[in-house]
Parts: sequence; C-alpha cells; structure tokens
Amino acid sequence: MSLSFDPAAVRARPSTETVAALVGTLARDYGERAVTSHAIREQHSHGEGLADPALPDVVVYPQSNEEVAAVVRLCNAARVPVVAFGVGTSLEGHVAALYGGVCVDLSQMNRVLEVNADDLDCRVQAGVTREQLNAELKGTGLFFPIDPGANATLGGMTATRASGTNAVRYGTMRENVLGLTVVTAEGNIVRTGGRARKSSAGYDLTRLYVGNEGTLGIITEVQVRLYGIPESIVAAVCQFPDLGSATRTVITAMQLGIPVARIELLDDVQMDACIRYSKLEGYAARPTLFFEFHGTESATREQADLMQQIASEHGGSAFQWASAAEERSKLWKARHNAYYAALALKPGVQAFATDACVPISRLADCLLETRADVEREGMTAPIVGHVGDGNFHLVLLFDPHDPADRARAEAIAQRVSERAIRMGGTCTGEHGIGVHKLDALVREHGDAVDLMRRIKRALDPHNILNPGKTVPLTRG
Amino acid sequence: MLDAALASRLSAVLPPAAFLDAPEATRPYECDGLTLFRERPGAVLLPQTEAQVVAILKICHEARVPVVPRGAGTGLSGGALPHADGVVLSLARFNRILSIDPLARTAVVQPGVRNLAISEAAAAYGLYYAPDPSSQIACSIGGNVAENSGGVHCLKYGLTVHNVRRVRGVLVTGDIVEFGNDALDAPGYDLLALVHGSEGLLAVITEITVKLCPKPPLAQCVLAAFDDVEKAGAAVAAIIGAGIVPAGLEMMDQRATRAVEDFVHAGYPLAAAAVLLVESDGTPEEVAHEIAEVSRVLTSAGATEIRISKDERQRLLFWSGRKAAFPAVGRISPDYYCIDGTIPRAALPLVLRKIEAWSAEYGLACANVFHAGDGNLHPLILFDANRAGEAERTIAFGDRILALCIEVGGTITGEHGVGVEKLTSMCAQFGQDELACFLAIKSAFDPSGLLNPGKAVPTLARCAEIGGMHVHHGALPHADLPRF
Repeated sequence: MSLSFDPAAVRARPSTETVAALVGTLARDYGERAVTSHAIREQHSHGEGLADPALPDVVVYPQSNEEVAAVVRLCNAARVPVVAFGVGTSLEGHVAALYGGVCVDLSQMNRVLEVNADDLDCRVQAGVTREQLNAELKGTGLFFPIDPGANATLGGMTATRASGTNAVRYGTMRENVLGLTVVTAEGNIVRTGGRARKSSAGYDLTRLYVGNEGTLGIITEVQVRLYGIPESIVAAVCQFPDLGSATRTVITAMQLGIPVARIELLDDVQMDACIRYSKLEGYAARPTLFFEFHGTESATREQADLMQQIASEHGGSAFQWASAAEERSKLWKARHNAYYAALALKPGVQAFATDACVPISRLADCLLETRADVEREGMTAPIVGHVGDGNFHLVLLFDPHDPADRARAEAIAQRVSERAIRMGGTCTGEHGIGVHKLDALVREHGDAVDLMRRIKRALDPHNILNPGKTVPLTRG
Repeated sequence: MLDAALASRLSAVLPPAAFLDAPEATRPYECDGLTLFRERPGAVLLPQTEAQVVAILKICHEARVPVVPRGAGTGLSGGALPHADGVVLSLARFNRILSIDPLARTAVVQPGVRNLAISEAAAAYGLYYAPDPSSQIACSIGGNVAENSGGVHCLKYGLTVHNVRRVRGVLVTGDIVEFGNDALDAPGYDLLALVHGSEGLLAVITEITVKLCPKPPLAQCVLAAFDDVEKAGAAVAAIIGAGIVPAGLEMMDQRATRAVEDFVHAGYPLAAAAVLLVESDGTPEEVAHEIAEVSRVLTSAGATEIRISKDERQRLLFWSGRKAAFPAVGRISPDYYCIDGTIPRAALPLVLRKIEAWSAEYGLACANVFHAGDGNLHPLILFDANRAGEAERTIAFGDRILALCIEVGGTITGEHGVGVEKLTSMCAQFGQDELACFLAIKSAFDPSGLLNPGKAVPTLARCAEIGGMHVHHGALPHADLPRF
C-alpha cells in the first residue's frame, strides 16, 4: 500500500471526460444496474438530515463483493470518488456526493448469509435492513437489538457506528459487530474479525471500519452478535411534572445499576408530537420516560418495582404498563417515529437533529441548559434521547426558506456541541460526523485528528472513498 | 550497551536510579512471561512522569533507537522482549490510582497499576473492574490495554476494550494524544479500539480511564462432571445456544483436574473426563433462575454429576482449582507450552477430539484448561526441554492446533497476543491485503517503526520467506522481494 498521499486529491471534481469514460465502462459492465437518470441520482444525493443535495454522476447496484471491488478498482484507477449508500437514512450528510462520482447502492446485496444459532451470531450482506434481519430470525428465538429510529441497513449502521434504544443494555454497533468484509480503496476484498468471540491477532480492523463512514473502505458483509429473546419483556411509561425530575430519575437508576434494557426520554414538545403523529392514547404532553425491562418474570418485576419507586420519589406518575407484544410494539414504533413526528409538528420545515452525549452525571445540567437556550431563541425543538447512555437529540425545526431561521438553528446546535464537550461529553453519540460535524471533531479531538488524517491517507491515498467526510484532510 | 552520549542524555531527563544499564540490573528485563525468547536491552528506563516519557521518546526518536514499552512483564507472547540495540521503557513507576468517580462508575489510573488493585480500591464503593486475566494479581492495566486482555468474566462483561473509556498516551514523536471519551461514544475513527491489543507498537500509554461495574449481590457456581470431553464441549455450546450468557464458563479436562487436585484440594471429581465450571451472578432471583436453567441444560447434555456452590467459601473453592491450574500443571511437568487459540464454540467437540488424537501421535501429554464460553482454548502441552526433540515436537503440535483453529473459523490468539511468538502464524491467518492494512496503520502512528519493532505484525517479506504468502488472483505479490 502506497504511503505517498496525492495532495491534489483533497479533491476537485474529476473532469467530465473522466466521468463519461467511467460511466461508459460501468454501463457496459452493469447494464441496467448502472443508472444515470436525474431522479435516481437525486434520490442518492442526500440522507434524512438537512437536504443540501449533492448528486453522484452515476448510481451502481452491485450484487456481490467482487462487483463492489471491481467498481472501486475502476474508481481508484480513474481517481473518481465513490460513495457507499445503504437506504439513505443517515442524518449528517454522509451520503452526499460532494464531488460527484459513483454512488455504490448496496440495496441488492440483501441476503442473510448464515445464522449460527448455537454461536449466537449471523452474517449478512450490507444491504440487509434491521427489520428484515429480525423478521428472518423469527422462529430461532433470537433477535438483533440495535435499533436506530430508521429502518437502516446493517452496512450503514456499521459504517456510522449506530446505536439505538437498546444500547444501554446491549451496547452499540461497536460492541456487536464481530467481523466484516470490506472492499479497500485499492479494490481488494479484506475480511476482518470472524466468528471467534475474541482475538488479539493484529490491530482491531473491525472496530476501525465500524464508524468509518465509507471513508476507509466499503463494508459489504457484516457478522453480528445475536441475543436470546428474553423470557419476559415488560414496558412501562411514566410521566413527570418537569424535565429535571425525569432526568434525575434516569441518573438515579443508572447509578443504582438497574439493568434496564431501554430508558428513553421524550420532553413535553416531543411527547405532544408523538401523541398526535402516532395516535397514542391516555398520555399528557409532559416529559415522559419509556422503560423496558428484559429478563425472567421475577427479574423484570423486581427491576420494574424498583424503577417505579425511584420515579415516584422524583414526582413521576404511576407506571402505565405494556406487556402484550402489540402494545409494546405500538409504543416503540411511536418512539422510533419520533423524528418524523417532530417534522410533522410544522408542515414545510426541515430539521437539524443534534446528537450530544454526556457523562450520565451531567445529563440534567446539559438538558436543562439546552432547553433554556431553545426557549430564549423561541424555536420549536423537541428533545428525545437514549438517556440511559447520556445520549440525547435536540430536533431543531426551521423554515428552509428563511436563512435567519436556519442560522438560529445552527447556532443552537453549535452551542449544544460545545456544551456537551465542556461537560466531558461528545458532539456525536451515534449519528457520526458526516459533513456537518467536521469542525466539532477538531474541537473535541485535537491532536488525535492528525492521527485520523494519517490513517485516512494511509488507507486511501487518492482520497476516492467518500471524500469530504468524517476527517478534515486539511488543517483548520 | 547504548553509546555513552545517548546514555547520558537519557539519564539527564530521568530521576536518579531510573536509568539502568549494568548487566545485573537489566537481566530481570531480558524476557517476559514467554521465557523461550531472551534478549538483553541496551538500557532500562523507569520514568515517573508523562513529561519524562515525552522526553525519552523525543531523544530516542531523534537518535533512531528502538523503544520497547513494558508493564509488569507477565505477557505470554514475548511482546515485551527487549531489543538488543534499544531501550526498555518500563511503566512500573506509573503506579497510582488517580481518582475514582463512584457516580460515573469510572476510575482514572496510571498504566502500571495492577489489575486487581483497581478492584481492591473500588470495593469501598461496591464496584469492581470486570476483566480478570489469571495473572490479575501481578499484571498491569497498561499491559491489559496493550494486549486487550480477557479473563474468566469477559464472556459476560467483555474484554479490556469493552471496559476502557479513555486512554492517554504518547506517540513515538513525543506528541501527547487522547483516545476515547468520558461519554459513551467518541466521534471519528475508533482510535481507542486500535490502541487495544496494539502490543506497544502504536503509542506509550500514560493514563487510562476504566469503567467500573457494580458488584453483583450474589454469585454462585455450578460444577458439572462429564465422562467424555466431547460431551462437555457440546454442553458448552448447548448453554450458549440456549441463550444463557453465564458470568464465567470454564472447562478443565482430567489431566488438568488431577494436577490441580494434588495442589489445591478443591474436591474435583477425579474420575470425570472433564469438568465444567459455570458461574451465575446477579440478584438472588436471577441467579436462582439461571442456575436452574444451566442445570437443566447440563443434565440433558449428559452431565454425570452436578454440584452447586452452597456458599461463598465453596464457590471460591470451586474456582481455586481453575485459578491455580497453570502452576499446578507446572508441578507435574518440567516444561509446558500454553497455546491460545479461539474457535467458534460449536467447533469445540471436533477440536478437542483432534487435540486428543494428536497428543497420542506426538507422544506428548496435553492438559486442557480454558475459557470454554468464549471458545478460547488453552491447551497446555507438557514436555521436557532437556529431552532431545521434545521442544521441536511441542512446537509442531502447537502449530497444528493453531492451524486447526484458523481452519474452523477461529483465530491464532484469543487473548495472549502475537508478540514474537506468533508472527509466523499471522502469515497463515491473514492474507497480504489484511497485512497491508496493518502496516498502513502502523505507519500512520509510527512511520519510524521504532516503537516495539519486530512484534505483532509480520513484514510482508517474512511471510514471503516462510512461504505463507497469499497469492491473489494468481499474481505473486511483491515479486521484487528476495525469496529463499
């Protein structure tokens, strides 16, 4: 692997002739699976966050590791950018083709390759979505717990190091990916990790590629851990007079080490949005915690009783229970749709979802300061969060036709990042860096960014892999 | 010996008695826990502050002198083997626990702090540090990070990488870096994971923030006997397959139980071909339920006897044999060689059967003591280095076990690292594209190659020499390299 970094590769768009030649080759090799229509390119130009579209020149739908490798080899030879695409649900502009080039859409690589029930793991192609995987696991007694709001692909979840409501108990993608197949910038197919539960052979390439956002390699297969479906699952909802008491309930619970499986906060604005969007009945638009307990009958009862006690001490209501599967899934569906519910609060708006994560002991301070900031600015911005991990999202709604409104939203988001970092936390708990958080990364990580830059250069010397994302290649 | 000018520059940045170069002073550092390989370093440096570490690295980097970081020296793969022309940078004097935050459940510690000392200090808050390698009395937390150490409890609680929040370290150039974060996630590439298991090749660690776990209210242990090793292996797969993740799941075969019984008198059933230890922890309700489930699975897997610890004393007695297994085996054989491969659990019966067959073939006894729940094997091959040919046969036997681990989808080292011991096996496990990624990462951190050279990642040339080179698409890679 060459270590000399091509400085011109801190990137201009490739020339029209270069792109035309490459598109010609792709059309010859992939026929209808290489698409240049405007509609398809537009669809692949942005994720679910800010629109700010940037269109690729062509979208290719490979069906195998070898095809992905062949596409990347062509791009590497022609020095043309290549952006991997799952289902486009990322929030930080990860998939925008800032410099044009080839979008590799992995949606046709959507097979579950193997399920090893005895070893509690499975291997899937990158285009398998989390809901598809759990549907295919039906009947095995196993499930895959990581659940970002969107029905994302496993490849995309791995590339962005996604998390979800279950992370407090089951961890994030970081803890649950056992191995990967990755196509490198040179178009080689590399296998990392594997089915062994632990390995200390070589550097941890698996975790390096988890969260690489398509900038170090394209993930084509993912080996993940599975878990036995717990014997008993109980969900409960508890409403609070104010945000502070709800947050302090969470902090107390975490400090006591109650092994709660999910603990989600929705503030009054978000709860209002969810009640309307998901037709939840019997709840008030007040700060609310959703809980879920996993274990045996006696263990879940014990955990829930203890949790109720703590909540009551902080002024929480009596728990409303959901133990039937349909009731629970209605509740969590409402939670997963929180982002869409927030968007529906004001028709025509766009949203900025911040993604701060702080040490649990600072969660109340951080949330209350943030709430006050939003009120001062007179914005509509629901708060929703995986609060057991100290991770929360402020969904800033703004009018895309009013630059001042967008600027106000960006300023608040900026202050959330700074506040989280000041409190010993991070500006991105799970959504990643993409294009929007590059500055925050430098602020937060200082010297380590230099190392990240060197890793990027070592593994992708011509900067063809998702250029302009994740790590700022020039200083300042 | 280092040249005099360099020696005086290094001693000038160190406190008195922290620069050792007399042969009698450097001899204790000539190997780590893998005593098969020895080398005398040019000097041993014992800094006490991060500023001293920075100064040492700047001097060595400028003078192009290799630096081998060293913790407690308990490593089993030769990761701390000195370099004849270099210095050993010992972190032994970085031995302070800097703070414990019981609310955030973290502790900030220096790298030379012993693994067990963290749990001892955290006990006052009802907390402990979960990863527990067998050497936890002696091994240091910095070494644990460098090797990504495991232990009995890592099945449920994860490896070192899952239990560390933040690492501060110094690059070979003397630049200070921090990886990770006090919060759940850190943005950008996962450098924290990269430094775990990096065997001192990427940075010298100076400070670590570890996660602490609340002590479970109750722990109980089940001891199950089997009349057949394969059945015991199948029982392990059955427990995990039933969705149970015990706090510990360990296996010992008859040769191991007999050796320890003479040593610690744990009361193991000596007629059994294999013994499983299954630990459950949590609230009394959870433990009672899990123990019942485990017992049911063990019975249907053909256990001939099941004992459940009645109290803490008996639980510790059950474990005493497992913890003392290595020294106990040391009593019955002049030498032993500990193998460290990991396999998918479902392959346990097959691999154990082959090891037994090869044991007969090579005429070398083999005791099996291992983290069965993780599929992490530790076959101990018993031999006598003084008998001609036995050491060679032992190594051949060991290599064959590791090759089998790769064949069934596993890895050549579960937790002991590559060091100098397994460089050759690395060529078998990884193709040149993977190795090229490793070398690219090394060059991003340490383009000079001065940090712990010759360890962990083989050069492409080495793999070419031993013929383990992966031929891709029929093209011989690096055709310009000299081959032998």
